[in-house]
Amino acid sequence: MSLVEPLARPASKTMTDIALSLAGVDKIYLANTKRPIHAVRALDLDVARGEIVALLGSSGCGKTSTLRMIAGFESVSNGAINLAGRRIDPLPPARRGVAMAFEGYSLYPPLTVRDNIAFALKNTRLSAREVAAKVAEIAALVEIEPILDRYPTSISGGQQQRASLARALVRDADLYLLDEPMGQLEPRLRASLRGRLKNLILERKMTSIFVTHDQTEANALADRVAVMEGGVLQQLASQIELKERPANLYVATFIGEPPMNVFDASVETGETFTFTVKDGPRLSYRATEFGEAARVGIAKRPNAVIGVRPHDVKLGVGDNEARVVSNQWLGDQSHIALDVAGKFMVAVSQTEVAERPGERLRYQIRSSRVHVFDADTTRAVSHGHEAAEV
Amino acid sequence: MAQIELNRLSKSFKKNHVINDLSLSAEEGEIVCIFGPSGVGKTVLLRLIAGVEEPDRGDICLNGRDVTEAAPETRGVGIAFQNFALFPHMSAYDNIGSALTARERDKNVIRIKVERVAKLLKISHVLQQAPRELSNGQKQRTALARALVADPKILLLDDPLRNVDAKLRYEMRLELPSLLKASGSTVLYVTQDYKEAMALGDRIAVLIDGGFAQIAAPSEIYRRPATLEVARLFGDPTINLIPGRPDGGSFAIAGVAVPLGPTYASETGRACVLGLRPESLKLSSQAKPGAFPVEIIAVTPLNEKVVLLAHTPDGREIFIAEAGVEDERRAPGPAFAHFDPAEALLFDEASGQRIEPAL
Repeated sequence: MSLVEPLARPASKTMTDIALSLAGVDKIYLANTKRPIHAVRALDLDVARGEIVALLGSSGCGKTSTLRMIAGFESVSNGAINLAGRRIDPLPPARRGVAMAFEGYSLYPPLTVRDNIAFALKNTRLSAREVAAKVAEIAALVEIEPILDRYPTSISGGQQQRASLARALVRDADLYLLDEPMGQLEPRLRASLRGRLKNLILERKMTSIFVTHDQTEANALADRVAVMEGGVLQQLASQIELKERPANLYVATFIGEPPMNVFDASVETGETFTFTVKDGPRLSYRATEFGEAARVGIAKRPNAVIGVRPHDVKLGVGDNEARVVSNQWLGDQSHIALDVAGKFMVAVSQTEVAERPGERLRYQIRSSRVHVFDADTTRAVSHGHEAAEV
Repeated sequence: MAQIELNRLSKSFKKNHVINDLSLSAEEGEIVCIFGPSGVGKTVLLRLIAGVEEPDRGDICLNGRDVTEAAPETRGVGIAFQNFALFPHMSAYDNIGSALTARERDKNVIRIKVERVAKLLKISHVLQQAPRELSNGQKQRTALARALVADPKILLLDDPLRNVDAKLRYEMRLELPSLLKASGSTVLYVTQDYKEAMALGDRIAVLIDGGFAQIAAPSEIYRRPATLEVARLFGDPTINLIPGRPDGGSFAIAGVAVPLGPTYASETGRACVLGLRPESLKLSSQAKPGAFPVEIIAVTPLNEKVVLLAHTPDGREIFIAEAGVEDERRAPGPAFAHFDPAEALLFDEASGQRIEPAL
């Protein structure tokens, strides 16, 4: 077995590294009717060479429309798409240099799985032996060797999905577009395929975009995640960045399992900063705990939304106390719901917690873990001690 | 006395044994989750208890009464399905009340009961709306309210959170146990999500191939799974399974004799499978006694954990899950893995049964 060298990611990306660029892209369905549907709005998105970007969002957020425009299955209403130094949005799909694994982009029924995959290499001048070797290698990666000689109609949905993934990955393309690539697979295979796929993509520097509604998948595979909602790109950042510095309330409560706890709060500033949740706790911190920019930002907002991630709620310590609503041990962690201001505040602990529903439990939220959002615009004001980027 | 007694039930469709010699008893007020992969007969089991299907063999006692031959409507059972099954032309109020109108004529009594259950489920404000005007979460609560409104002693819930989005499913998972406990019903809850089963059940009955592989409290099932198959169904990522033969209290992993502790010393030479939960594996950068070499292939964050996909030198793929190591970012490359022998699980390879460590 060959061992893989540790892979270093480029530390910074310069403009020359940009493989794919979307500039001001709109998608408007039914544009000439009374009720046009604006599926994607003014989308700017740059993807570096060798980078993996996930388009993440709930259904109807515009992620699939975006993918289909890049692939060429949908026209672009406004804006331009450039790939590897050429403008591709006027080109037909086959001439864009894009390899795709799409749900609707199915395998050819008259060909075996092996021939389906090999067909993707048809115009490559590879010898038959080289083609066979490439097919065998990719088939092993997605674990479909036993079904290579079967026909698409005789294999399961999960196998079809992997065959279609193999057909895309076997190609040498400027960009790989994957639509929910692992949606139908059982959990263990999905987890190991994620690891192998990521390894392959990194090793070969395959620029990739994949669509998913599953943030676990997005976090596991992608270098950066593009969170979309209402056709608008909400934030494009690494998963750590999304978790620690969400740009707005939507991203804050969309990213993270379980999601961030958020509460409306009134803010008093001075020597101490006090966040008072209506009918709930008062969280007081020394003003000096916050950086200056964060202090200024918070002080401008007498009414704010404060947020804390479930993993950042410390249990059994602190001045505040709440009633336990539920206490659920999941084998490797506990999820505790506390009744705070008539809502749930969820805390996750790596160890079991003794308090049962109905009992009271103390909790603490450190100033370094408090997120503050503008109550009107929902934009982030500060994350812990630091001001949010504007 | 147990409120639900299933005694050696069997049910076949054509030649296919869907439920095979299955027994279960649930105490008053208990929540038992029926958990298993899809297609193992979970829904058929609920239909047998509800009386929609008849068992080929065995009997069903509910509230101390043998109902094996009784008509569904006489069994005193409330049911909610995964697809809600609301009447589209009726308001949420009438949908909930429909569970009462067959027996109860007094409109005031119906109103009081519907309003009480609606308050419990936080849908008081949407009672006059038709199903199409309700969100999925509200539909699901309405269906649940309809099942609860007649104060059934026994409540059968068939994967009720299946069709609601992840966020609401999570909220309901937190909330359901107290709602169900407040109703006082004995609950059989079908799910194919192991986390849901662990979160909701007082006990979990693991249904595999038409029979219960294990019936126990959630933590018992996670820590002491009865079989390999049960061990595999609980945990994310799933448990690592390494075949081999223990030798004098140690077990060879990639050529390294890893200590299992004296409790398994008597299993020397037996064909076994070692089960290691991803979170039981710890990594170190230096070789140390009892640690086996691994090559970390990929580092993937999973919720608040980091999941590492690693290969052993003999080509085995294993998962390692680390929690709370955010400051120390892992990178692909060589490392050593070790574990606390007390957290290792050993299974007989042939039967799949877990081998109890000797005391």
